[in-house]
Amino acid sequence: MSSIELKNLRFCYPGADEDTLSDLNLQIANGEAHALLGASGAGKTTLLNLLSGLLVPTAGQVLFDGRDVSELPGRERAVAQVFQFPVLYEAMSVAENLAFPLRNRGLDAEAISARVAYVSDELELGDRLARKATSLSLFEKQLVAVGKALMRPDVSLVLLDEPLTAVEPRIKWRLRQTLRKVQADLGVTMIYVTHDQTEALTFADRVSVLTADGIVQTGSPREVYQSPAQEFVGHFVGSPGMNFIPANVLQTVPGDRAGFRPEWASIDPGGQLAGSVGRVSLLGTRGGVAEGLVTVFTEHGEVNVRGPVEVQEGDAVGIRVDRYVAFANELRIAEGELA
Amino acid sequence: MLELNDVRLPGASVAFAHTFAAGEISVVLGANQSGKTDLCRLIAGLPTRASGAVRIDGEPVVAGPRHRPVAMVYQAFINYPNLTVAENIASPLKARRRAQAEIAAAVHELAAKLGLEHLLQRQPAELSGGQQQRLAIARALAKDARVLLLDEPLVNLDFKLREALQTELRALLKASDTVVVYTTSDPRDAFALGDEVVLLSSGEKLQAGAPIAVYTNPSSLAAMQLLSDPGVNLFERDGHTHAVRPEHLRVSTDGELSFDLRVTANETNGDESFVHGVVEERDWVVRTRGMLEALPGDVLRLSARHDDVRRFT
Amino acid sequence: MSYKPQNNRAWLGVLPVLLIVAFSAVVPLMTVINYSVQDILDFNTRFFVGFEWYVQTLNDERFIEAFGRQLAFSFTVLALEIPLGIAVARGIPKNSRLTPLILIVLALPLLIPWNVVGTIWQIFARSDIGLLGVAINAMGISYNYTSEPLHAWLTLVAMDVWHWTSLVALLAFAGLTAIPQPYYQAAELDGASSWQVLRYVELPRLRGVLIIAVLLRLMDSFMIYTEPFVLTGGGPGNTTTFLSQYLATMAVGQFDLGPAAAFSVIYFLFILLFCWLFYQSVVKRDEETP
Repeated sequence: MSSIELKNLRFCYPGADEDTLSDLNLQIANGEAHALLGASGAGKTTLLNLLSGLLVPTAGQVLFDGRDVSELPGRERAVAQVFQFPVLYEAMSVAENLAFPLRNRGLDAEAISARVAYVSDELELGDRLARKATSLSLFEKQLVAVGKALMRPDVSLVLLDEPLTAVEPRIKWRLRQTLRKVQADLGVTMIYVTHDQTEALTFADRVSVLTADGIVQTGSPREVYQSPAQEFVGHFVGSPGMNFIPANVLQTVPGDRAGFRPEWASIDPGGQLAGSVGRVSLLGTRGGVAEGLVTVFTEHGEVNVRGPVEVQEGDAVGIRVDRYVAFANELRIAEGELA
Repeated sequence: MLELNDVRLPGASVAFAHTFAAGEISVVLGANQSGKTDLCRLIAGLPTRASGAVRIDGEPVVAGPRHRPVAMVYQAFINYPNLTVAENIASPLKARRRAQAEIAAAVHELAAKLGLEHLLQRQPAELSGGQQQRLAIARALAKDARVLLLDEPLVNLDFKLREALQTELRALLKASDTVVVYTTSDPRDAFALGDEVVLLSSGEKLQAGAPIAVYTNPSSLAAMQLLSDPGVNLFERDGHTHAVRPEHLRVSTDGELSFDLRVTANETNGDESFVHGVVEERDWVVRTRGMLEALPGDVLRLSARHDDVRRFT
Repeated sequence: MSYKPQNNRAWLGVLPVLLIVAFSAVVPLMTVINYSVQDILDFNTRFFVGFEWYVQTLNDERFIEAFGRQLAFSFTVLALEIPLGIAVARGIPKNSRLTPLILIVLALPLLIPWNVVGTIWQIFARSDIGLLGVAINAMGISYNYTSEPLHAWLTLVAMDVWHWTSLVALLAFAGLTAIPQPYYQAAELDGASSWQVLRYVELPRLRGVLIIAVLLRLMDSFMIYTEPFVLTGGGPGNTTTFLSQYLATMAVGQFDLGPAAAFSVIYFLFILLFCWLFYQSVVKRDEETP
């Protein structure tokens, strides 16, 4: 287990005109669960490969516990990786798969079987040990792949590359929670790469939002959600993303634009904004009242409001905004509540 | 109008019938392996293990897939890789020997609708995933079919793109009088897109109707479970199984029904929290607004309304 | 639960293929089987002799010797070509600008007509003017494939390996490129050696193409005719006479149509048997591993 630091990291694919990553800085504490959240094309895969040692940075450094490992090949870095689909040795049993990384590092048989028992117990895989890897369900296979990544007691860093992609939507949370639990139990430093904000926010202690321009914000899930550092973060995190309107519409708000989450607003004739209902999408009921998302067409563009739905398409409505984040030149300058 | 009769999907023990209305979006909701793809293939006339009678606008359909008034969009972004965007959109029209001018007009109209105008001369490989799937949809629309099948079309897209395309799709699909059948495993799609939801489980039709109606009055526990994200919570009272949806539980000490939840995990996506735990030795999950502070080991007192609880025998 | 296919007319589509196969394979085979149970003196005089030719062939010492040589040859070239082909395939860079060039060079031996291959080696290995033959002799090793049976054998094996390893290599390379990158990356992070990558990542995923490679090479090498015919003519003595050449001597040289036909059927059945045995062992292993 190690702390990880990226210092002025730059990477340019040979022959490419533009850097894929430029001047990236990031510090991850020992034992932290960190999520890298970004859309495709933001350079997530490149960053992963730089961490795992598949690529060597064009400039800058990758530090594990202060030690520069930028040029070190993957096998000498004590890094493990879980991929989008289960990557296992198909001819081996579950136990042999788990033992494989340790056997290659010359641990004695007793230590290996103790570790196999410990990790399989932690992942509740104990009764699957003798099975061939190919006989497991996709979910169990990915669980074994996670187990394999956790086998080395001295592992510095575990990389998770959208590990829930192949898992059925309804049981994704189970694997996510198992990951969370073993991460806490073993105190392993983990970096979880994903385009899915729910996965990032639910998994991580801290989240970094990655764009083609680099990391635009690093913070706790709450910070990233409630206090986006840039308009892009407000838009990208949250489903749907933040609403943006000119700041002066809300009068006391500073800066040039004000952002607010759909649940920070409500339909209210006395609100600061007015418009007509363009779309209503119901999401269920709460307390016997239908609730969902109301999209209102206003003179400042579409505004989404989440909450109880008592209006219909075409209705003229007002919107009250209770809470905002103020931006100037797309950067956050203030946030607060409105009376 | 698309009528299906005596449909038998692989793994099902009974056949079903269903009528899909023109100008409406029907979301077929089912888990993996529930027969969604087989249903689409049956309607499209592609080889499948499903059987059944298909009628479109009252006429029995027996022709092969090339001659059916049916278009299909798949999970994978399937386009002609060696044709440009414009040629891709034009391909179904060319196959029908439409006039040059007519084709050009249709290509521009569809490209505009799907935000592809500036990409007309590109090859599919030069497009992003979202653009490729939009192109596949444009091609399907160009066929001007009576029935449009979309088989989990957004599954392979990034989260944010999926969200954007979902909203666009609804507006786009509602603008025609085509029968739209959209399959998914995500209950949120049913609400976001569907005029109607058809629940499919192990090849059998569980229930169909307006999403909110099916949500409020599920005919069975399986139906309630299928249209719930995450799954429903079960408890026993008076020898009967009762179920309550995760969003119908509140963290509060006063309510018509009370439960004690021992927290095992807490997840949040920002606007909502999902608290997992154990109630009466069953795994439960509670969906609440905002970011709730709850740690594993905590005990939360939950309340629910009688009206939100369903009893199943 | 089983489902009836909806449309049985699809079988009609297979009919042309069945007819072609019938005329191209079944009819000639039946003719041979017909010959194999008759003693043919001339076109109009023939007697039914039952299995006599079969019994005679199976007891023919020269047949048994040729059969033994054939087995030895096939297994030797297989044992060399398969591992060598895999090794070559692993050495081909996957995404280099040179890759297409390497593949073309590799494919060259496969494009040369078989009798030309024989001729090339016939000259190449000659101890008086051939580059290889002269070079070996210059190193102080006495080498002459026209007089020494062992030398003839080694030359034949070398020729076959030169001719056919490319096929195995190209098949294996196609198989290797289909292995997703993460498997290699995981093995690297697991600290796996190159041998372990081969054993646990590549071979399990090459199984399909290797089965095809082994089947193709087994059948082909069992039927080898042209190259040894050109290179050694079966000599010195009969030391490099394989089944097909013995058969040709019998049918064309001596015009023993009956025995030659029986020989052909036995020959055919053996090839069928080997392929079946090999296929069965593979399929069985598949069933055992769930």
